[in-house]
Amino acid sequence: MLTALVLGTTLLAFLAFAFPKSANGAAKWYGVAVALAGLVLLELMDPAAFPPDESARWLSYPFASNFHLGMGGVSYALVQLLATVTVCALLATNVPRQRNFVGLMLLLEATMLGLFLAKDLLLFALLWDAMLIPVFLLMIGWSVHPATAWRYLIYNVAGGLLLLLGTATYGVIYGTTDVIGKGQVTPISDAWAPWILAAFAVAFLVKTPVFPFHTWMPDTYAELPSPVAAVVSSVQSKAGLYGFIAIGLPLFTAWTHEFATVMIVLGTIGLLYGAVIALVADDAKKVVAYSSLSHLGLILIAIFVFNDYALRGAVVYIVAHGFFSAAMFLVIGYVETREETRLVSRIGGLARGSPILAGAMAIAALAALGLPGLAGFAGELFILTGVYQAGYAWLAALALVAIVLAAAYMLRVYQGFMHGPEQADLPQRPDLRPLEIVAVAPLFLALVLLGVNPGPVANYPDQAYTMLAEKR
Amino acid sequence: MLAQPFPLSDYAAILPLTIVATTPLMILLLDLILPKGAPRRDAAVAVGIAGLLLAAYVLVRQYLAHQFAPAFGFGFILGGFSIAFSLIVVAAAIFSLLMVLPQRDDEKVGPSCALMLWSAAGAMLMAGAGDLMTIFLGLEILSLALYCLCGMVLRASPVRLREARESALKYLILSSMASGFMLYGMALLFGATGSVNLAALQAIPAGNPVFAMGCGLFMIGVAFKLGLVPFHVWMPDVFEGAPLPVTAFMSVVTKAGMLAVFARFLYGVLGTDHQALIVPVWIVAGLSMLVGNLAALSQIDMKRLLAYSGIAQLGYIVAALAGTSTLGMRYALFYLGAYTFMNLGAFAVVALISRDQEEDSHLSAFSGLGTRHPLLAAAMAFFLLSLAGLPPTAGFIGKILILASTVAAGYQWLAWLLIAGTAISVYVYIKIVRAMYVPVDLAHIREIRPLSYAPWIAVAVCAVATIALGIYPAALHDVLPRIR
Repeated sequence: MLTALVLGTTLLAFLAFAFPKSANGAAKWYGVAVALAGLVLLELMDPAAFPPDESARWLSYPFASNFHLGMGGVSYALVQLLATVTVCALLATNVPRQRNFVGLMLLLEATMLGLFLAKDLLLFALLWDAMLIPVFLLMIGWSVHPATAWRYLIYNVAGGLLLLLGTATYGVIYGTTDVIGKGQVTPISDAWAPWILAAFAVAFLVKTPVFPFHTWMPDTYAELPSPVAAVVSSVQSKAGLYGFIAIGLPLFTAWTHEFATVMIVLGTIGLLYGAVIALVADDAKKVVAYSSLSHLGLILIAIFVFNDYALRGAVVYIVAHGFFSAAMFLVIGYVETREETRLVSRIGGLARGSPILAGAMAIAALAALGLPGLAGFAGELFILTGVYQAGYAWLAALALVAIVLAAAYMLRVYQGFMHGPEQADLPQRPDLRPLEIVAVAPLFLALVLLGVNPGPVANYPDQAYTMLAEKR
Repeated sequence: MLAQPFPLSDYAAILPLTIVATTPLMILLLDLILPKGAPRRDAAVAVGIAGLLLAAYVLVRQYLAHQFAPAFGFGFILGGFSIAFSLIVVAAAIFSLLMVLPQRDDEKVGPSCALMLWSAAGAMLMAGAGDLMTIFLGLEILSLALYCLCGMVLRASPVRLREARESALKYLILSSMASGFMLYGMALLFGATGSVNLAALQAIPAGNPVFAMGCGLFMIGVAFKLGLVPFHVWMPDVFEGAPLPVTAFMSVVTKAGMLAVFARFLYGVLGTDHQALIVPVWIVAGLSMLVGNLAALSQIDMKRLLAYSGIAQLGYIVAALAGTSTLGMRYALFYLGAYTFMNLGAFAVVALISRDQEEDSHLSAFSGLGTRHPLLAAAMAFFLLSLAGLPPTAGFIGKILILASTVAAGYQWLAWLLIAGTAISVYVYIKIVRAMYVPVDLAHIREIRPLSYAPWIAVAVCAVATIALGIYPAALHDVLPRIR
């Protein structure tokens, strides 16, 4: 079933390119239907009994490598997020040459589904590179500045190549790459393990991104068409964090402890630096981009304090951040299509004419700043508890500073857009159309559900948690 | 021994080679008989391809029948090794012949096809060469035909003709010099051992200065023909000036032939005893990856770009041999096969988008291709992804296999250079993908109608192979263990 999900989405994605030019509207609904079918398939799964792994021999030499897909708790949280965000993003899509756009979005979804389900390092590395290509094509086809597109690709491919080198080395030494989700495998020798982990870590840090590898990110998120930015910021950026949880911790347990200090320091720099820049950025999308740097820094810290609460909190916050950053990008996209700008200093007083738009933005912003009852709070609470429990009281305090700053920058965007004097020279446009509401509604619903009851997401059984428990 | 005639089975061993070498006679004969125009052109290409397909069939039969045997007193060694390289040569020749058709010069199509086949026969001889004489014989058959081919531009304007002549002359002079190096090296090797036979060369103990010098000169010749840095400067000029099908042909066939010689020399003669002698080769391979890709960055002509990219790609393939492991040999072959498909596929696309009068390999010819010819652009995109080593293509699998073999052999620094070179190459190749898919105003671009649709066959076959090997590498990969 997992194979059918991944390969089916891939094949159906290619079908979208075959739509006639006149059927651009139909292509969009086709894309929504395909993504929705995937989501329904995922929701029908029982978290207590995931479908069995599916595996086929792929390479026998120089190391055994399988086309191996399997579901775990963390994977389940991520693919649900991915499927939901893709459906919403496609619903909100309104671009020229829609069929190609839809095809590439579905390809992006398919490659990322495969990535989160991959149980083989080589398959993981393959899909890691593969998921960059649809985004790059979306960038060049839908008017992102070439320099930005190149920066995105070169940074991430360089990371991907390191991942590949690490995978090849791991395979040669260990004899097989089919090791993700196997629990504790025999550790490989200390002469190699730190180098392989370092190669993986750089790839993961670039993708997340974490300071100082983040320079490709703000422009990318700001210039991407909103639906793509929603998917990339909310799901693709989590691939790195997922890599740490699913690959770094189980395969290199001892060495991750050696790396912890560096990771925590980098995460903390990102946490504060991102928040400060978000406070002054004028471009609303860049505010969200830098807020991601801040939030994902917090998640990185949570992963590397090796605490059960923190790790579960990291997963909850990964999902929560996915939902609210997608919502923020889609809503800012709505504003942008109406006002043809997204500068906080330029826009004002939208709430009077467009109350629904203002409401939507309010919910997204409040979730992002961690209002109790919404998903962001649940994740932050878990993480802070865990970090404190692990003995990093000062880190918890620093994180609190960043959370206060989050309130400041999110509300600054909201205020700038919605309140204040109306700008007479900007076009007066109608409020959200029903379809635009439908596109963000599932995200809000998810934010509320997860905020009220984060238990299910935190409790999906996953070997990462059990390993952490054994370790202690 | 020489007094006796060779047994008949020896001639059976070189049957594929014989087929490829005699087919041109038929082509030239038909060229005289058939009326001018389409029949003559099509017949030349069709007969050439038929001959190559027949040779391929015999090669596969030989492979399946496990006919691994030396022939002509170790002058020619039939085996999985020679068959694999020969098959690559034959496939490359078929794809190149398909690219000849869009040219509309009746006078030159027949001879072009004939010369290509003879050249391919030379490469096949090199693939099976078991002594120094055969190596040189194969090399000269290969090269002599190519000197003519480089200058034979079809439908040429004076400027184009001058470029082609420059290309041919440059190739003749520089290649002859490389042959000279090689020949001198061979003479020294003979002097050191008293035999031209590769198996006999093996017996020499390490540290013999004459042998070492002979090896060095021989390797310079090899590196020159493979176009490895710093012996690469002839390649871009020659590739740019030569007619497109010939460039495509050279980019694979000369390399495959020379790689076979290099690999046999490496594995058969140097083995593990003389590792110190070949370390410079790995350094040269590493340099090729970097310099080739760096130089390709600024190219705006597709043929030049592919020439530089070929330098880098050959660097990857040679790197796979580092450590002289059995696995390395297989992965070099896998990558060479993948390279054949992705590189010739890309050349076939260039052949298809060439405009009426001049073959047009400028990069601007690709702008808007995604809208004008979605299928062609998609195929090209896959070839370029594969050349850049991105999934889901044969190039990706080839890269990981080479990485694995270099790491396993203990040459981490080569693996790092490979990673660096690949990172640079992403820009080189994806730049073209970008040109194809950036939305453009189509009004400014002239519609192109290819003069022949034959290269489409090459594009289709190469695209399927490139993707299939990327998704299911076992198809080719599991055959490789039988190659020795």
